[in-house]
Amino acid sequence: MSCPKTQHILQEYFADNLASLAKEKIESHLLVCGHCSNELESLLLTQSTLNQWKNERAPHWNRGMELFRREHQTPISGFSLWHRLQWAPTIACFVMMIVLLLNVNFVSSQEGFSVSFGSTSDDSPAIEERLVAFQEEQRLAMDTLAGRIEDRQSSNNIELLQTVLDQNQQTTAENLNRIYAFFEQQRLRDLEDMRVGYQDLVDNDYETIRSLQQLAQFVSFQSPER
Amino acid sequence: MSLIDEDEALIAAALNGSALAWEKLVRRYESKIYNHGLRLMGNSSDAMDLMQEVFLGVYRNLHRFRGDAKFSSWVFRIAHNKAIDINRRKRLTTTQIRTSDQEELAFLDLVPGETNIEPDNMVSEQQRNRQVISMLAKLPLEQRLVVELKMFQSQTFEEIANLQDISVNTAKTRFYTALKKLKVVSEEIHVLP
Repeated sequence: MSCPKTQHILQEYFADNLASLAKEKIESHLLVCGHCSNELESLLLTQSTLNQWKNERAPHWNRGMELFRREHQTPISGFSLWHRLQWAPTIACFVMMIVLLLNVNFVSSQEGFSVSFGSTSDDSPAIEERLVAFQEEQRLAMDTLAGRIEDRQSSNNIELLQTVLDQNQQTTAENLNRIYAFFEQQRLRDLEDMRVGYQDLVDNDYETIRSLQQLAQFVSFQSPER
Repeated sequence: MSLIDEDEALIAAALNGSALAWEKLVRRYESKIYNHGLRLMGNSSDAMDLMQEVFLGVYRNLHRFRGDAKFSSWVFRIAHNKAIDINRRKRLTTTQIRTSDQEELAFLDLVPGETNIEPDNMVSEQQRNRQVISMLAKLPLEQRLVVELKMFQSQTFEEIANLQDISVNTAKTRFYTALKKLKVVSEEIHVLP
C-alpha cells in the first residue's frame, strides 16, 4: 500500500541539519508507515552499496612537473622586461600629454640645450616687431593683388558687354528679316485666296443667270400655248 | 599543521616557483580526482582526461585562489565543471558506457588497483567498484553529479545547489530521484546474476 507522504518524508530524511521537531515527525511517521519505512530501508541499502567504493590508486599525473618546469624556465627578468615593455605606449602618451599641457620648449643652440616651460617672455618684443612687419608685408601684398584683380575684372566686363551687344544686334536684324518674309508670304497667300473666292462667286452668278434664262424660256414657251 | 593549512602553504610555495610544492599538491589530490572521474565518467581513460583537465585548470588559475573557500572545494568545483564539459564534448550517455561483461572485464584491466593488498581482496574491491560504476552509469549526469557530491564528497545540499545553480529543494529531489533509480538498478543486478 503506497503512501502519499513517501517522497516528502524520505527527501527530508536525507536533508542536512534537520530540525529536531521535523526529525521527530519523520521518525514517528516511519514507525507507523510500513511503506515509507520499507522504502527508506531499500534506499539505505542502496547507499551502503555505493559506500562500498574503495578508492583506486590513480596513475600519477606526471605532466604536472613537466608543465611547471617548462613554464618556469622562462627567465623572470625576460618576463618582467616584456611586462615593462607593455607599459611603454601608455608612458609615451602620458609624457606627450605632459609636454603639451605644460607647453614645454626644447631649444638646442650653439650655447647648448635648454628646456623651458610656458611662453618665453624674453623674445616677446622681437616677435612683436617681426609680427608687425609681417602684417604690413601681407597688407601690401593683399592691396596689390586686389588692384590687379579689379583691373582684370573691369576689362573682362567691358569685353563681355561688347560681345553681348553685338550678338543682340545681329539677332534683332535676323528677327526683323524673318518677320518681313513671313508678312510677304502671308500677303501673297491672302491674294490667292481672294482670287479663288471671286472666281467661285463669278461661277455662281453665271449659274444663276443660266437658270433664270431657262426659266424665262420655259415661261415664254408656256404662254403662247394658253 | 592541518590539511587546509598544508594546502595553503603548498599553494603559496608553488606560486613562488617551487616545483616540489606543486608536485606535492598534485599528489595530494590526484587519487581523489581520479576516483571522482572514474565514478562520473565510467572509465579509466575519461577519468585520466578529467584529471589532466582539472590539474591544468588548477595550475592556470592557482593565482586566483583567494582562500575564501577550502582548496579541496575549489578543486572539486573545477572538476565538476570539467566533467560537464567533457560529457558535453563526448556526448556521453548512459548507453555509451560499456556494460557487457566482456567489455567490463576489458575495462577493469585498464583500471589500476591497490598493489599492496591481497589479490583476492583486490578482485572483490574491483568488482564492487565495477558494480558502483555500472549503477551510476544508469543515471543522467545531473543526478550522477548530485550523488557524487552528496555521498562521495560529503557536500551539503546548499553547497550542491550553489555549485549547480539550482535550488536546495531541486538538489534534494534530484538526490532522492537518483537514489530511487539506483535502488531499482541495484535490485536488477542482484536478481539477475
